[in-house]
Amino acid sequence: MMTPEAARELARKVVALTHADEAEVLVAAESSALTRFANNRINQNVAEDNALVNVRAVMGTRIGVASTNRLDDASLAACCEAAVAAARIAPEDPSFPGLPLPEPVIEAVRASASVREFDAEARARAVAAIIEPSRARGLTAAGKVRVGTHVVAIANSHGIDVGMEVTGVQATVLSMGATGSGWASYLSQGTEEFDPAAIGEEAADLAVRSANPTDLDPGTYPVVLGPEAVADIMDFLGFMGFSAKAYEEGRSFLSNELESQVMREWVNIVDDAISPHAMGLTFDYEGVPKMRVSLIEEGVALRPVTDSYWAHKSGFINSGHALPAPNSFGPLPLNLEMMPGDETLEQLIGRVKYGVYVTRFHYVNVEDPVPVTLTGMTRDGTFLIEDGKLTRPLKNLRFTQSAVEALYELEALTTERKFVGTEEGATLVPGVMLSAFTFTGQTT
Amino acid sequence: MDELTRWGDSLKEVIEAALEAARLAGADYADARVVDSSREELEVASGRVEAVERSDSFGLGVRVLAQGAWGFSASREVTVAEAVRVARRAVGIAKASALVSGEPVRLSALEAARGTWAGPCEIDPFTVPLEDKLALLTAAEEALRAEPKVTVTKAHCGFYRERKWFGSSEGAFTEQSWFESGAGIVALAIEDGEVVTRSYPNSHGGGWKQAGYEYVRDLDLVGNAARVAAQAAELLTAPECESGTVDLIIDGSQMGLQVHESIGHPTELDRVLGEEAAFAGTSWVKAQDVGTLVYGSEHVTVTADSTVDGSLGSFGWDDEGVPAQRDEIVSRGILTGLLTSRETAGTIGRTSNGCMRADGWNRIPLVRMTTVSLEPGTWDFDDLVADTGEGLYIETNNSWSIDDKRLNFQFACEVGWEIKGGKLGRMVKMPNYTGMTPEFWASCDAVCSADHWQVWGLNNCGKGEPMQVAHVAHGAAPTRFRGVSVGVGR
Repeated sequence: MMTPEAARELARKVVALTHADEAEVLVAAESSALTRFANNRINQNVAEDNALVNVRAVMGTRIGVASTNRLDDASLAACCEAAVAAARIAPEDPSFPGLPLPEPVIEAVRASASVREFDAEARARAVAAIIEPSRARGLTAAGKVRVGTHVVAIANSHGIDVGMEVTGVQATVLSMGATGSGWASYLSQGTEEFDPAAIGEEAADLAVRSANPTDLDPGTYPVVLGPEAVADIMDFLGFMGFSAKAYEEGRSFLSNELESQVMREWVNIVDDAISPHAMGLTFDYEGVPKMRVSLIEEGVALRPVTDSYWAHKSGFINSGHALPAPNSFGPLPLNLEMMPGDETLEQLIGRVKYGVYVTRFHYVNVEDPVPVTLTGMTRDGTFLIEDGKLTRPLKNLRFTQSAVEALYELEALTTERKFVGTEEGATLVPGVMLSAFTFTGQTT
Repeated sequence: MDELTRWGDSLKEVIEAALEAARLAGADYADARVVDSSREELEVASGRVEAVERSDSFGLGVRVLAQGAWGFSASREVTVAEAVRVARRAVGIAKASALVSGEPVRLSALEAARGTWAGPCEIDPFTVPLEDKLALLTAAEEALRAEPKVTVTKAHCGFYRERKWFGSSEGAFTEQSWFESGAGIVALAIEDGEVVTRSYPNSHGGGWKQAGYEYVRDLDLVGNAARVAAQAAELLTAPECESGTVDLIIDGSQMGLQVHESIGHPTELDRVLGEEAAFAGTSWVKAQDVGTLVYGSEHVTVTADSTVDGSLGSFGWDDEGVPAQRDEIVSRGILTGLLTSRETAGTIGRTSNGCMRADGWNRIPLVRMTTVSLEPGTWDFDDLVADTGEGLYIETNNSWSIDDKRLNFQFACEVGWEIKGGKLGRMVKMPNYTGMTPEFWASCDAVCSADHWQVWGLNNCGKGEPMQVAHVAHGAAPTRFRGVSVGVGR
């Protein structure tokens, strides 16, 4: 596995090889392993070593990009030539501001040696511990234990020269009975506090409680969403609404709504890659330090995130949210956080007279981009709430609901929050209670 | 098989070294794949070139069975020495898998494959000058922007080339190569916080085929741009699709996705057996349903065919060395087959029908769709609209969602037209529809003829962990369903 120092050296070397007016090189190396299980046994078990060099060449304001995973000198030279050749034929882009300039690096440790030591046997032992609570209850478990080490380095011809290592361990478990299922997950930088038996127990317990689900008529109900369900909503808000490109093109709910109350006053959303608890890179894929950006403050829309191009175009300062070039998505927030409230999940449920508890969603997609109208299913633990208590499991429900409008109905949040996603893009979310959420169907 | 790597070892030597190292380390079965792929993407959006990109990837993956369990390891270094290391690691991983194993994995019988296969290609797209491709996209994108209400535009094309060498411990050695070409245009009309979209020839990446540049050239992006832009502008003032129950005619492209989500995925035997439960989900279909389950009406016949010329789902052999073939999955409404692998096929008493494919050298093969098609019926489209009398016709997918058993689905399309008095009438925006898979397919009472049938390439089918993206295809024609719930959530 390449070290951050070696990756930076390689990036600098390839910048020098690129005969262009400006050049930017991204080196991304990965060593990862994933053990998958289903039907209470390991069914897939894989490991991979890879490294990629991505070259952005600029000729005047013409831009070309090429990448390769062949790192011998001849292949690297060919990659640089391909990027330059692409730049030569591209038309001028008068709005291109030039590649970014160096800024002070934000130092942070985002890697743990424990991940590298978590080998195939350790993963198998973890899987066995995850499965056991399901097996003991006559349930079947499926899921994964994944470990990954990523080294990312970026250099450009203006002197940007950054690199860091990021590690992560992720585990998921679905526990299934004949009629019900439960889910639990874990995500962390290292394996030190990873307790596989605990997530196995959590999922199995939920599966038992979800057995023999019942019907609920479609309609609008108060809901309590567990953190995994909230993370889905946050991710779609990020993808559809928080990018300066979507904002500038009028495709975002922020467009024409800055300084307006777009959500309930209890809603505070930031993107923060630099807090002590954050995971992932502290710089973006242009090598620019990531800023902590307050996107929604007390329900008021403040700003989208930017990269160098969309900062120049929109007038917002560059918040350091570039994706690898070429990037037609625009900047994206990869470290979203919904700030916590001061209640427990039980207190949220206690607020509901008659409503629905959702553990997580499945296969969510966007029907209408500006209000972020989503449709999807509930999964692995949906319960009726009556008089402040979970009373019976429900068959999975289909929802069709604007995410923005849903957060206008937010009543309370939990103190406790959870990371959902991967170490490269982790969303930190509490559970929430919404006074209205629309379910439009149910499965059998 | 005598092609040399950049390090001087021949690919055959690399593959043989991997297989031998796996055997010596204790593998009962091993296969090794070397994949060399190149991709080129160009995109012009809203008057700006957003991407001119070329990417290459090369590497080796080794899959082994040891002590009855699977292991896989992959590396971007394709040398004899690295092949030995990777193979040994794969066996070590398999032995770790065996610590938490069930019944030993058994592979259904297979005659060792040997030979070469190449997909069709008239014009190697990587030899067409970038200038020519950009000129085409720029012209199409400018034609979209001629409509003032269209404020965001996109024209893109992409090209993919893959060469793959496969060997197994059972004596298989194959070499395959093909090109894929694709392109599309998208017009967004945005006004007062509302966004409407029209795409050609399809949404979510445009049209794709196993073909050369001739496919992109013949799509006539420029010639279709004015119509696409005008429809996007018209959608801004069109009424929303009303909520209700209607007789629904779905166009071929959306039918392709409907087949994909509610027939293709639920008939993947690994899903049926619970092997994908935690991520993609399971299936409402049971392995023992083959031969008896009523999947839909008598008008519903579905094939899985990896021999369709020029289709994204075609090959010579799958990634287990099983030869390409055509298999009927649903015959006049009855489930007659499933998509299988060598490991899963035995559970239904069959041999593999060749659906195992991997997304590159660093992924294991999974059960994937090939060209899964709703076979054509007999109707002319105009006759079908006339026969429907009152109803709704919809085109081009906008959004899709389906539950973890592939039962409850909801799709939204870009555009619809009311059917009044047997003719297409007023345009409606953002039509969506919902249903339950068996009831929906039971309500199918008409499929248009081969004159209206075409294969739709789809290069974004996600499955597995780590995520794999498969390139698949679906033949479909406009199809009618009775009594469908539309305008959901309005």
